[in-house]
Order: sequence, then C-alpha cells, then structure tokens
Amino acid sequence: MATTELGVPEVEAGGHPRGGLVEWMTTVDHKKIGILYIFTSLAIFLLAGIFALVVRAELARPALGVVSEGGYNELFTMHGTMMIFLFANQVSTGLANYFVPLQIGAADVAFPRLNAMSYWLYLFGSLMVLSGFLTAGGAASAGWTGYPPLSDSQFLQGRGMDLWTMGLAIVGIASIAGALNLVVTIFNSRVPGMTMFRLPLFTWGVLVTQLMILFAFPPLTAALAMLFLDRNFGATFFNPAVGGSPLLWQHVFWFFGHPEVYIVIFPAFGIISEVIPVFARKPIFGYRSMVFAFFAIFSLSFGVWAHHMFTTGQVYLPWFSLMSFLIAVPTGIKVWNWLATMWRGSITFTTSMLYALGFILVFVIGGITGVFVASPPIDFAVNDTYYVVAHFHYVMGMALLFALLAGAFFWFPKMTGRFLSERLGKIGFWTLFVAVNLTFFPMYLLGLRGMPRRIARYQPDLGWNGLNALSTLGSFLVGVALLLFVWNVWRSLRKPRTAPDDPWGGNSLEWVTTSPPPHHNFHQMPQIISGRPAFDLRTGAVRVAPSGEGPFDYRRGQT
Amino acid sequence: MKRAVRQVALIALPLLIAGCAPAAVTTEGRATHDAYNIFLIAAAVVFGVVTIWLLWSVVAYRRRNDELPTQIEGSNKLELLWTAIPLALVLFLFVITVRTQHTVLSDPPSRVTIDVIAFQWSWQFDYEGSDLQVVGGPNNVPEMVVPVGVPIHIKLRSADVVHSFYVPRALFKRQAIPGTTNEFDMNFQRVGLYHGQCAQFCGLSHADMLFRVKVVSQDQFDRFLTSGRGGAPTGGGT
Repeated sequence: MATTELGVPEVEAGGHPRGGLVEWMTTVDHKKIGILYIFTSLAIFLLAGIFALVVRAELARPALGVVSEGGYNELFTMHGTMMIFLFANQVSTGLANYFVPLQIGAADVAFPRLNAMSYWLYLFGSLMVLSGFLTAGGAASAGWTGYPPLSDSQFLQGRGMDLWTMGLAIVGIASIAGALNLVVTIFNSRVPGMTMFRLPLFTWGVLVTQLMILFAFPPLTAALAMLFLDRNFGATFFNPAVGGSPLLWQHVFWFFGHPEVYIVIFPAFGIISEVIPVFARKPIFGYRSMVFAFFAIFSLSFGVWAHHMFTTGQVYLPWFSLMSFLIAVPTGIKVWNWLATMWRGSITFTTSMLYALGFILVFVIGGITGVFVASPPIDFAVNDTYYVVAHFHYVMGMALLFALLAGAFFWFPKMTGRFLSERLGKIGFWTLFVAVNLTFFPMYLLGLRGMPRRIARYQPDLGWNGLNALSTLGSFLVGVALLLFVWNVWRSLRKPRTAPDDPWGGNSLEWVTTSPPPHHNFHQMPQIISGRPAFDLRTGAVRVAPSGEGPFDYRRGQT
Repeated sequence: MKRAVRQVALIALPLLIAGCAPAAVTTEGRATHDAYNIFLIAAAVVFGVVTIWLLWSVVAYRRRNDELPTQIEGSNKLELLWTAIPLALVLFLFVITVRTQHTVLSDPPSRVTIDVIAFQWSWQFDYEGSDLQVVGGPNNVPEMVVPVGVPIHIKLRSADVVHSFYVPRALFKRQAIPGTTNEFDMNFQRVGLYHGQCAQFCGLSHADMLFRVKVVSQDQFDRFLTSGRGGAPTGGGT
C-alpha cells in the first residue's frame, strides 16, 4: 500500500479530462489504448466464436441442414481470419500496450500518437474485412489461408475477397507500426536499473513477438498486394496459365504463417511465466534459458514454413522436417522450467493459477501432436484433416485462451481496482477444461479416420457421426464457459473498488503502483536491483523514492 | 485434487488407446503407420512425465503456511538435461522419419500408370497405354480401379484450383496443383473398396469431391482394362 498515501487526484496535470466517448476516441494513453485493443479483439473473438458454433452445429449431423454450402464456406473462412488476424494478434497487443510500460517503469510507450494510429487502423481494417458480409457476393470464402487460384477473381467473384485482402493489409500495417512502437519502448524507455536481463518474461515475450512481426508481416503484405493485383488488375503472379505460380502464394503466406503461430503464443508464454512464479511464491526457474528459448524458437520459426507444404510434393522435405522437430526442444525447455518453478514451491490455487496449469496440459497435448506432423510421412496422412484442426486449436487457440484467462484473473484487479469472482471463475475453469477437451480431442480421432477440413457435409457411413456430435456438444459447453466469464466481468465492474496495489504478492513493477494505475503510471519508484522489484520492496530489500525526490521525475516521463 | 486426477485420466486414456491410426492398406501406408506408433509411444511418455510432475507439484506443494519457500533461480545441470534428452528424442524421431519417408516416396518400376486429373468438383482417371477413361461428376462418384500387390504410378494434375488426392486408408495425400504434375506410387495390399476424397478446400462443392479406389486382382484388372468394365460400372450414381 506504499503508493496510495499520496492521495494524488485521479486525473493529473498533463492528462486532459474530457467527456467519456471523446476521451476514448482521442486518447493517446497506452492503458486506454490497451483497453480499446482488448475490448475490440474480445468482441471479434465472441463473434468468431459464434461462427464456430454455427459450423459445429452444421457438422453435428452428416447432412447439410443449418446453413448453405456457400454460407458455410464464408463462416469458416471468417472464423479463421478473425481468430488469427483480428483477435489472437491484437488481444496480445492490447495486453502488451497496457502492461509493458508498467513493467519497465515507463510513463507511456515511446510514440503515443503512433500507438493510437495503430489501434484505429486495426479497427478500420477489421471492419473492412467484416464488411464483406454486406456485399452482394458475401464475405471472403477461400479459407483463412486464401490459396489461389481459388481466391483469384476467376473462381471467386465479389468484393468480399477484395475487402478481405485490403483489410488484412491495413491490419498488417497497424501491426508493423505497433511492433516498432513496442520494440523502441522496450529498448529505450526502461527505468534505470531495469536491465534487459531484469525484464519480466511477459515483456520479453512481447519483445520477441514484436520483432517477429517486423520480419513476418511485410511478406504477408506483399502476398496480399500480389493477390489484389491478380484479382483486380490482371496481374498473373499466381496464374499458372501464363507462367505464374500458385505455389508462390503458399511459400510467401507460410513464411508469414508459421512465425505467426509464435506471434500468437509468445505473449501467452509470457503471461504463464508471470502467473506461475507469483502463485508458487518462487522466482521463475531458469530465467535466462527462458529468454534464450524465445530467441531459439524465433530463429527456427523462420526456417520451417514449408512443413505446411509437405503434401505439395514441391519442397525439400528433410530440412523443413528437421527444423520443425528442433522447435520442440526450446519449447520443451519452457514447459520443464514452468514445472520446475512449481517444484518445492508454496502453491495457491487461485483461478489464475488453475488456468495456468490448464494451459500447460492443453499446450502440451497440442505441442506433442505438432511433433507428429513435423514428420512428412505422418503429415501426408493427417495434413488437411481434422487432426491438424485439433492440433492447432489445442496448441494455439485453446492454449492462448487459457493463458488469457489466467492473465485476466491475474491482472483484472490491477486494471480496474476490482476482483473477478473466484468462485465463478473456478466453476468456469472446470467447465472450460472439460468442454475444450470434449470439443477438440474427438477431432484428432476424426482426422485419423480421414475426415478432411472445411467440408460442410459428410457421408454417414464413414464412422464420423458420433465423434462429430460429441465435438459439437463440447463446443456449446465452451460457449457456456465463456458466457460465465463475460458475466463475471460484468458483475465485477458493478462492485466497489476493493483491490489493493499488490493483491497476489507480485514480482514485477505493475504491482508497485496503484490499482488502477494513475495517468502517468507511477507516483514513486523503488530502486531496481533485481528482476523482481515488487518482491524486493515487499521484503524490505529496497526503498521507494517518490517522484521528484529521486533522480527521476515520473510525471515528466522517462529520462 | 481427485477431480484433477480424473480430468487428466480422461485425456490420457483415449490418447493412449484410441490415438492409433486405422490399419493401412498400402505398403507405404503401413510404413507410415509403424512410424506413427513409434511417435505415439514417445508422445505418451512425454505427456506422462509432464502430467505426473504437474500433479505431484499440485498435491505436494500446496501452500500450507506463510513461510517463503527456498528461492531457487535455476540449475544449469537440470536445464542442460532437459535440453539434451528432448534433443536426442527428436533426432531419433527424425531418423525414423527419414527411413519411413524413403519407403513412402520410393519410386519402384511400375507397369500401371494412371493420370489423375482433379477438377471442380470431381476426378478423372486415365489409364496410360489404354484409352480407358473414368470421369466423375455430380452424383457420380468415380472409381479408380487398380490391381492388388503391384506398385501403381500416379501422375496427378489439376484442371483449375489446388485440390488434394486423399485416400485415408492409404494414409496418404498429395496436392493437385495447376501447372504442376505430381508423381507418386501406391502399392495396395488388400482387395477392397476404399473411400477417397479431396482434402484441399476447393470451393462450393468441396465436400462432394469424392472418389473410390477399387482394388481388384490382376485378372480382374486386366479384364477391366480391355473391356472397360472391371466387374463394376465406372460410375452409376452409387
């Protein structure tokens, strides 16, 4: 409670109070922009989730019954597009926006206006992608991977696909600008004493993620531009009839697409690396190997794209296979380190911690099956089947979801000053854990039995009926669990602010300031002598210097 | 914590008993199946270690008092250990992979060559050295008739978008890419009728792009080639 005694008013000099909506539309405060990102991406997540439920409802029985074939194609295309591009990337950007400046002791990101621009571009691009539903031909329907020639104008007319292409390019530009901003912030705005090897692992996860965005998104933008030219101006990048190559798209798309997997999951790794040490009351085991593992995966991830293309018969298999296998090693290091952090700890089972434990199990189930598909012969069998659908929903989708919920219960008190209900949270956790496995485990078995992805109907005599029904049942239970969470948030926001500055016994700097933090983040700053400043402060190893008294004036920002 | 144990058993059990791929009907598929089972054993071991370690921590290190546990920051020895063992494991799996791949992608001399053309939304099978042609269409699932026990050489092409030639019981698929010819061999070991389907999303009626592989004896196949009626019609709306 060291920081509440100053009694500084909510809005200080420098933070201009405005009316509600105008304030949100004009803000350059990283915390508010973070909340905008999180809110927008969660709205998109819920919408894309509803699309998934319609898809599952269609697949519950073999015959077509819920939507038309065309509608089905639009729904799964937009489900994937929204989940990957408009949700998974962006919700992490939101959390990074909110917590990275706090964790490194900065007053804001390096370029606050660029930050606002990134958000509004992201929103604009997302609405552009979604507006495909309003056009005559409907939304894009070539799958989220948009393989030409199917996505070319010859086979897919209508403006939906063009809106998809341009919308994603705009979101990509927003991501690149956001990445530059966060990278510069982390390199330049750290409070003195916060050396690179004292950065919290969430901030490390964000840093490596943003570096990957800088390498991965420009090729995607190029691919989208080529597709747009092919569709609208008669270019022939992907048209084999006149010397173009459909394979070119697959190469460039997956050169982005595989690093994208780690762009999605690294912030999740970061959250888990924050949550487990706090609730096990031990420092993270093997901090430096955690950082090196980030960089190892980063490097390897740019040499594995063609494992998505084993079945093309047009790539050199052993190299891409070996590189893919090797990724399991640094990823494994992370899992072992999380387990070792709990070893001989003193563990409190808060909802946040339960989600972190659930994350480990879900991630490992998905990760292990990733090793299977790194093997070309096995990939020949299961590629493009529900096996792969199950694999990436476990390793990327559900693992991210569990990490986000761990982070939500962990950070909600910091962001709002209010606790989420632990009782509702725990009911939600067990519901979600059962539901997720009920939804996605049957998909592995369906894949092994030969069910391809992206089909709207199937023959009833292939042994797929029961498993599909089970999966659909599970998916609606996932919906129930998520509604419980939404309700939990809604309820908590109506309660008085009771959360102290440091409710969990945290390690990183965000726990030193008030809940929620003031406009410029810190009224006072402890001396930084280790990677756990809040811990040092709590145990009396360091003292705080109020702003203006120490060497740094936090109201003016850094330097 | 009993609940947690139950949850984990719920996941682990089907992983072990039901995770196995269905029996394959080609020599290539059988090699893949064997490799799959080796991977499954490795996966079960790793998943078992993680689960047991996690559950043990949950049970044994529950917070009991306010005393701070020993603040261990890491151990180079342990970290080296859990870098080296997984590295050895994946290198072993890579060796298995390369050997299996050698079998799956072997190119034995074959007497039967079939030109397969994928199109929106069916298949065409042309038998080289014969003017026999099988073409599918809406409500007409085409049959690719092949002799049992000999390598079949397949030249796969696409007439429009990217498709994928997939025979689940062969544990094999290959993309049909416009402008490219993909060649591979399949050696069916069991007489029977096997389901096949396009695996690469290819537009509106992707789900209807079915075919069947009819594996027959050499005699029946020879008769099929000469008469064009291998004991069964080549279409007929089945």
